[in-house]
Amino acid sequence: MSTNGHRELTYLEALREAMFQEMQRDDNVFIIGEDIGDYGGAFGVTMGMLKEFGPERIIDTPISEAGVTGVTIGAAMMGMRPIMEIMFMDFLTLSANQLVHNASKNRYMFGGNISIPMVLRTPMGSGTGAAAQHSSCMENWFVGVPGLKVVAPYTPKDAKGMLLTAIRDNNPVIFIEHKLLYRTKGTVPEEPYVVPFGKASIAREGKDATILAYSIMVQRSLEAAAQLEKEGLDIEVIDLRSLRPLDAEAIHASVTKTGRLLIVHEAPTMGGFGGELAAVVATGPSFDRLDAPIVRLGGKECPIPYNRILERAAVPQVEDITQAARKLALEGR
Amino acid sequence: MATEIIMPKVDMVMETGTFVEWLKQEGDPVTKGEALFVIMTDKAAIECEAPASGTLAGVNAQPDEVIPVTNVIGYILAQGEQLPQNAPQEKQTLRDSKVFAGQAVEVSASSNVDSTVNMLSEEVKTLRATPLARLVARELGVDLNTVTGKGPRGRIYKSDVVVAAESSANSLAVIEPEADEPQPGLSAEGLTIQAAPTIEGLAVQLPNANLRERVPLKGARAIIASRLAYSAQTSPHIYLGINVDMTEVVRWRQMVGPKIEQRAQSRLSFTAIIAYVVARLLPNHPFLNSSLVDNEILLWEDVHLGIATALGDDLIVPVVRQADRLSLEETAKEMNRLLEAARGHKLLPAEMSGSTFTITNLGMFGIEDFTAIINPPEAAILAVAKMVDTPVAVDGQVAIRPIIHFTIGTDHRINDGLRAARFLNALKETLENPYLLF
Repeated sequence: MSTNGHRELTYLEALREAMFQEMQRDDNVFIIGEDIGDYGGAFGVTMGMLKEFGPERIIDTPISEAGVTGVTIGAAMMGMRPIMEIMFMDFLTLSANQLVHNASKNRYMFGGNISIPMVLRTPMGSGTGAAAQHSSCMENWFVGVPGLKVVAPYTPKDAKGMLLTAIRDNNPVIFIEHKLLYRTKGTVPEEPYVVPFGKASIAREGKDATILAYSIMVQRSLEAAAQLEKEGLDIEVIDLRSLRPLDAEAIHASVTKTGRLLIVHEAPTMGGFGGELAAVVATGPSFDRLDAPIVRLGGKECPIPYNRILERAAVPQVEDITQAARKLALEGR
Repeated sequence: MATEIIMPKVDMVMETGTFVEWLKQEGDPVTKGEALFVIMTDKAAIECEAPASGTLAGVNAQPDEVIPVTNVIGYILAQGEQLPQNAPQEKQTLRDSKVFAGQAVEVSASSNVDSTVNMLSEEVKTLRATPLARLVARELGVDLNTVTGKGPRGRIYKSDVVVAAESSANSLAVIEPEADEPQPGLSAEGLTIQAAPTIEGLAVQLPNANLRERVPLKGARAIIASRLAYSAQTSPHIYLGINVDMTEVVRWRQMVGPKIEQRAQSRLSFTAIIAYVVARLLPNHPFLNSSLVDNEILLWEDVHLGIATALGDDLIVPVVRQADRLSLEETAKEMNRLLEAARGHKLLPAEMSGSTFTITNLGMFGIEDFTAIINPPEAAILAVAKMVDTPVAVDGQVAIRPIIHFTIGTDHRINDGLRAARFLNALKETLENPYLLF
């Protein structure tokens, strides 16, 4: 515990604190999901919450993602503010019908008479040896669905502030966490606060090239930028935080400054969100400021392998980002 | 539809080509890929291939005609095809490059070039520049066609535009402001070089003599004239000479030359051996492998060796790239390849530009001592004379030794005599003891 109510918390603790505080503030908030009660969640995010809030507000469910998603949407339509946890983002395929056809559309189809203030929390990504069906990044499946919001914070501080924003938002929000971020630490204010959606954050200022990233890739991009600083290269890292709505202004501002853009995400490059980000620049005011082709770095075109070495090789690592950013920053200079 | 034959763009900065000759007559059958016509660029004559098979028709390019790139100069008709109705009957001959810069753009935008260009021109027909480079070029008023891009396939970056703008401003500054009309600039290696003033501009008295012939200054001659006039006017040359005893090189070549020639499948000339040695030495003498641009001397890491070569009446300078990384065998092979390409008029403009140091050898013409003008923007040029059996004093005795006189010319703005002397001594030491290379 430090002064001014700012403590070092892990990403996981920051999330738990957000839910704790909001459940104390608002009786309509409850959590629903598999193994979130006694077990405390697959990664321990809801640890201890059953004891505090009881089984009526911390609801363990059978393994039936589609059903649970339907229940969550129904509760939200009836005025509750549910937080649903899906153990692994891979299982969103099972929830997809409910999310894409009900959660996102009902407000439009009922003339604005209902809203669906639900949050779907889920961890994505590889790096834990969980193999092909428990390691996917699927943000690109949902960013193209009008009516859904998709966010993927990187810092513990943003995790707490954006989860509070998500719970208070009247629209369905897919809140993407990353398994490897759960144990990372950062300063988090104790008092409840909100971090707005649609605002990117400059994780590191620089002038030689811009890296656009979110979630775990912000961490790796910052490490890459720190290495390149020793080589005299000044790399800017933009943490998008919120994918939909998207802060296009921040992207244009950074690209206008640096003239070079590297987009990094863990999901496969083909069809990845990076394509949309590249299009934002190619069709927007910063196009004229590009002094090199846009570079995209994403996962390999394969399911995540179980083998540790192959798993590591399948997604961008610090050295890959370093190499790509170095080449881009030096190109034509 | 009849296939158009166009004036190809074989160089990023090429706006026009001089038509030299058709290799086929109108009505002749032609086969896709065979040599169809010859053009002259700023640097060399190039044979161009037929873009399709069929019958040559509607030719409208005349020898010595200057034609904007992508202009249609004829057609190839397949069985049953006819000339298009709007086929140009007569090409307007353009003499003023200031006029046709704009027209060339118009033509390339309106003609359907995709179906007609051969592989060579297809590769380079589009100007490649980053959006930022285009923006900066607009702001600085730089014509991107005059900028050499350092990126892949000539892509122009902002930095290339800035360099071009700066050196353009620089070269304008050295030209006398009252020199009547400025000549069109010629771009070479990002330097905008001003052509030499015409003799009329100098207001000299012509001799009172009967005129035999007027030979237009064009193509390779024109670019040599402007580049070397620029060099002679802007770069104060100093010359240093040294005699080198080639006994050991001759002996060594007799011993291992045939083996190397066999492996390289090409002749091992003394020029190749000298080029190899020079490329090895230059990294230790960086100021001789440099360029003075604005207020900076750029020391080049790579050694791109220009080898001045006579080709008929023309002088061309094919470039051995990264010569410092080549083995002797590779050097011989590459020089041979470039020479063969030059003889077949297949040398690409890119293979004749971008050298960082030049060697010129007039030994085969019996010249025993000469000097050369630096090939801009280089810092030095090495003139190699004939190997002459010469009586020399060796250990107090007169001996007959094969001697070559080397003369280095260097830009005194960059180098004083000392650096050139050091280089010549290193060259002498190495050639007289070639075993030092191993």
